[in-house]
Amino acid sequence: MTEQIDKALAREYEAGFVSAVESETFEPGLDEDVIRRISEVKGEPEWMLEWRLNAFRVWQEMEEPDWAHVSYPKIDYQAVSYYSAPKSMKDKPKSLDEVDPELLRTYEKLGIPLVEQQMLAGVAVDAVFDSVSVVTTFREKLEEAGVIFCPISEALHKYPDLVKKYIGSVVPTKDNYFAALNCAVFTDGSFVYIPKGTRCPMELSTYFRINEQNTGQFERTLIIADEGSYVSYLEGCTAPQRDENQLHAAVVELVALDDAEIKYSTVQNWYPGDEEGKGGIYNFVTKRGVCHTNAKISWTQVETGSAVTWKYPSCVLKGDNSVGEFYSVALTRGRQQADTGTKMIHIGKNTKSTIISKGISAGKSNNSYRGLVRMNPGAEGARNFTQCDSLLIGDQCGAHTFPYVESRNPSAIVEHEATTSKVSDDQMFLCRQRGVDPEKAVSMIVNGFCKEVFKELPMEFAVEAGKLLEISLEGSVG
Amino acid sequence: MSEWLQQAIARADSIQDGFEDQRATSLALLKDIKWPTRKTEAWKYTPLRAVERSAAIFKEESPELEPVAVEGLEFLELTFVDGQLVSLPEDLPEGLTIEMQESSLFAEIKPERHVFGLVNDVLAADVAVVTVAEGVAIEQLLRINNLLSNGAQGHIRVIVDIKAGASLKVVENAEGQGASLTTAYTEYQIGAEATLEHYRFALQAADNVAIGGCHFKLLESASLNSSIIGFGSDLQRIDTDIIHAGEKADAKLNAIYLLDGKELFDLHANVEHAVPNCTTEENIRGIAGDSSRAVFNGRIHIHRDAQKTLAELNNRNLLMSDKAEINTKPELEIYADDVRCAHGATIAEIDKKALYYLQTRGVSRSQAQLMLSFGFINELIDQMPTAELAEWVRPIIRDRFSQMEVK
Amino acid sequence: MKQANFSKLALKALLVRLRNPLNMSNENTLLSIKDLHASVEEKNILKGLNLDIKPGEVHAIMGPNGAGKSTTGYVLSGRDGYEVDSGSATLDGEDLLEMEVEDRARAGLFLAFQYPVEIPGVSNLEFLKVAVDAQREARGEEALTSAEFLKIAKEACKQVNLPVSFLKRGVNEGFSGGEKKRNEIMQMILLQPKLCILDETDSGLDIDAMQVVANGVNSQRSPERSFIVVTHYQRLLDYIKPDFVHVLADGKIVKSGDASLAKELEAQGYSWLQAEPTEDELED
Repeated sequence: MTEQIDKALAREYEAGFVSAVESETFEPGLDEDVIRRISEVKGEPEWMLEWRLNAFRVWQEMEEPDWAHVSYPKIDYQAVSYYSAPKSMKDKPKSLDEVDPELLRTYEKLGIPLVEQQMLAGVAVDAVFDSVSVVTTFREKLEEAGVIFCPISEALHKYPDLVKKYIGSVVPTKDNYFAALNCAVFTDGSFVYIPKGTRCPMELSTYFRINEQNTGQFERTLIIADEGSYVSYLEGCTAPQRDENQLHAAVVELVALDDAEIKYSTVQNWYPGDEEGKGGIYNFVTKRGVCHTNAKISWTQVETGSAVTWKYPSCVLKGDNSVGEFYSVALTRGRQQADTGTKMIHIGKNTKSTIISKGISAGKSNNSYRGLVRMNPGAEGARNFTQCDSLLIGDQCGAHTFPYVESRNPSAIVEHEATTSKVSDDQMFLCRQRGVDPEKAVSMIVNGFCKEVFKELPMEFAVEAGKLLEISLEGSVG
Repeated sequence: MSEWLQQAIARADSIQDGFEDQRATSLALLKDIKWPTRKTEAWKYTPLRAVERSAAIFKEESPELEPVAVEGLEFLELTFVDGQLVSLPEDLPEGLTIEMQESSLFAEIKPERHVFGLVNDVLAADVAVVTVAEGVAIEQLLRINNLLSNGAQGHIRVIVDIKAGASLKVVENAEGQGASLTTAYTEYQIGAEATLEHYRFALQAADNVAIGGCHFKLLESASLNSSIIGFGSDLQRIDTDIIHAGEKADAKLNAIYLLDGKELFDLHANVEHAVPNCTTEENIRGIAGDSSRAVFNGRIHIHRDAQKTLAELNNRNLLMSDKAEINTKPELEIYADDVRCAHGATIAEIDKKALYYLQTRGVSRSQAQLMLSFGFINELIDQMPTAELAEWVRPIIRDRFSQMEVK
Repeated sequence: MKQANFSKLALKALLVRLRNPLNMSNENTLLSIKDLHASVEEKNILKGLNLDIKPGEVHAIMGPNGAGKSTTGYVLSGRDGYEVDSGSATLDGEDLLEMEVEDRARAGLFLAFQYPVEIPGVSNLEFLKVAVDAQREARGEEALTSAEFLKIAKEACKQVNLPVSFLKRGVNEGFSGGEKKRNEIMQMILLQPKLCILDETDSGLDIDAMQVVANGVNSQRSPERSFIVVTHYQRLLDYIKPDFVHVLADGKIVKSGDASLAKELEAQGYSWLQAEPTEDELED
């Protein structure tokens, strides 16, 4: 039975192709000169370069973390190239017509047509290819509403004050080893600003693609929702199938000012490596948001890719009555390792947080939930509810739960629950007795297990996420 | 490395009793060990300042001390004062033997190799080995007393071997007069179809430092029922390890901690399911008042082969003061798919609805709070199999509640 | 009376045999089980089961606990862990035992479970749509649109007295015992199988609930569809009238007859199976 289930989960990595794009790529290696060159290519202001150099010095002083339940060979940071961009992007194409058709084809193949007529209505896309943003769609429509949605490198020129005010304000340079590295070498990413009282008229999304070999991707995203505004943002990620491991160390900062709401969804499908664990992306990501008074940040993630995932999208609930949410599905198979969860830091009064985490482990993979819920002394009347469920498929995988719960306020209430289960033989038998394929049965049961999380995704993507777990199931069964 | 540890090592180095070889391994490990800091996961919430500052000494001469009496119970007493064995029970029942080892390190099973387990390895002077012969049920309770006089340091180690089909009831009782420091480890091997009823009372408070633990190894169809009740002190740390080494073994652990003042209490409960078909049930309840700090870590580790495991852990806490803190971390590490495992942890204040209900019946608010908190703890006391012990400890806990400042 | 009854039965059984000899396949037979031996965890449970069922017939299988009643349903539907040691079983002339579980279902075999399992998060509607689509595909029919399906699903709910809201709930999730059984019959109505095996569908039901279930089943009786009603007690057979009643004991059918045999069993219990024949019976 287990074999059948595992087979059902095995899937081709459909995004594993390589695009034939001529790129300008830095020689591997990291020193201050490389950072100066990145800054120069981007034409950044002087303060930004100083900020990067400072981060680089901080990073050099730090020790690479040694995590208890994650293992991977040591990364040689001098063997990675820190900048790669398609040559055709050098002249900064003004419109889609000027963009290299091969780039457009790449996104089309991934199911993300960048030609506005073909796109999902109501979704604006920023497409990031290796170290640069290729195109951002629907910009005019967004500008009408006063919404800024552009590559962060562009924001540095057009809105330097906003960037300077908020960059590093949520995730400080020293936060952790990979965040510090990102501060020094980040290349592109998205910048979003929603003005006061504005409801962003469409879903915003960034699609990250790693193409070039031996490059790292270090994107940085900054979203600011001004008072009383609302935005829903989604990111997707894929990379070619290669035998070498590639490093992806991103930083995402969210600022939800008073009464604002940010909904941030991720469908992460970086190349996971092969069955034996060869190749795949190291996905070391720092994501954090600050909620001011009455604000709300909701993280939803579907993590199916990457050889190693290490990320804890977090909420600092600074303002009174603010709300943090974390909904996660993490599926690991083969030899994937996922160590993911969240931190909810309750500072303000009557702050609320909800954590729903669903881990599915198959093959020889290991899947951990690691989380922190902290009630600070001032968190009068704060509440947290956490539910972590693990589904094990086969007896060669591992499912772990490491929740830290700290309370220093007697009126705060924290509840944490964790359970583990398997796809039972009885469930499989019932489905098959009704004529359902074993593959379809597994995907149905697994999807059912994840339902609470999928319902949090924007409609268009909930379907995608369901398919991602299922994809799969077609074509892989002989 | 701390000065305290250096002194401990120096003392161990200087002991010449013919057992140097046996001590060598632990001593070498100890010399290599990193002194825990807040970055050391096992000591994240428990700073060792109280150990570092401790002036407790190894006394040449110790005063005579008597363990507390428990109404209705005559124990077989095994008493240590300041780390030295002072009395062995006379007239042991048939099938029960107690032997002394002149030095440590005869243990076959050891507590987890953390720094104080190693300290205990090299400094425990008298090691008692208790054996219950196959198939023998010992009715009378054996009490292991770890008594410390004012300002004294002592390290004790007891090994208990319950042979197949035998049964034993053990009470571990620690009493420190103040400014003392102790490490106390007991190791139990529970044979096939053998049972152990176990209690560990750590009811001394104030400025004592007490670190130690219980290590239980369960063979096939063995059964353990353990109750731990602790107050905090300058530093009170207990590590329990339950190892399911034989199939169909069953372990039940109930623990209570009740903290006041500036007390610190840290309970680490680790369960290893190494084989299939075993069950574990853990109920841990704690109350932290004033400016105390409670730490609980409950780990359940299901090994690859341990299919059909049933394991549950439930940790509930009441935080009674805005200066107190509770840190809890239930952990599951699971490598087998056909298992039923769950844990839950809550931190809350007293149920407001229940409080209101009692007040509408004319009970004062503070009285109602006391009743409800006591009830929260009493549920576990009621489960203690030896009723006399429950009767004895209940008023002690009630007293503590009445002293605690209830807001 | 009793004696006369038994001889009539014997005659009828003989006639059935003659019409449908054991070792000859008959085109007109829907299900044919021949000398079936099966085991669970290396313990022999079925020890030479023979049973032929024609389209439209309702057969009741009764017998004491442990006789192999539920095992019969599991073996026919191909549950893991139920090993066929020898013998054969065909549905519409096709070898059932060689098929995968889902292919047996698509060939028209339906098992209503004694203890239906819960599948959290998977809605009844989604589950049934997938199952019905799979079966229609197997029969070379077009998939139903969601609207069409919803219509027939609602209709099926009505037939078994289940509120339509149950379609949106997780499969059996939090259902009461009676609701689970009605849900099974609802699935049967939607899947339109050729052969339905009802495994102790009456267990845990009160009279009212049993009537609802029985009405659902009766509404599905047709000249093409056959039923095996597995039950420990006779009472269900008051509502679902069988054409034949078989007594299963120790892995074999030890006695067959018409509906009146069930009444006999009700009066006598199963103890006679173990006991020595009485003098009365010997004379007979």
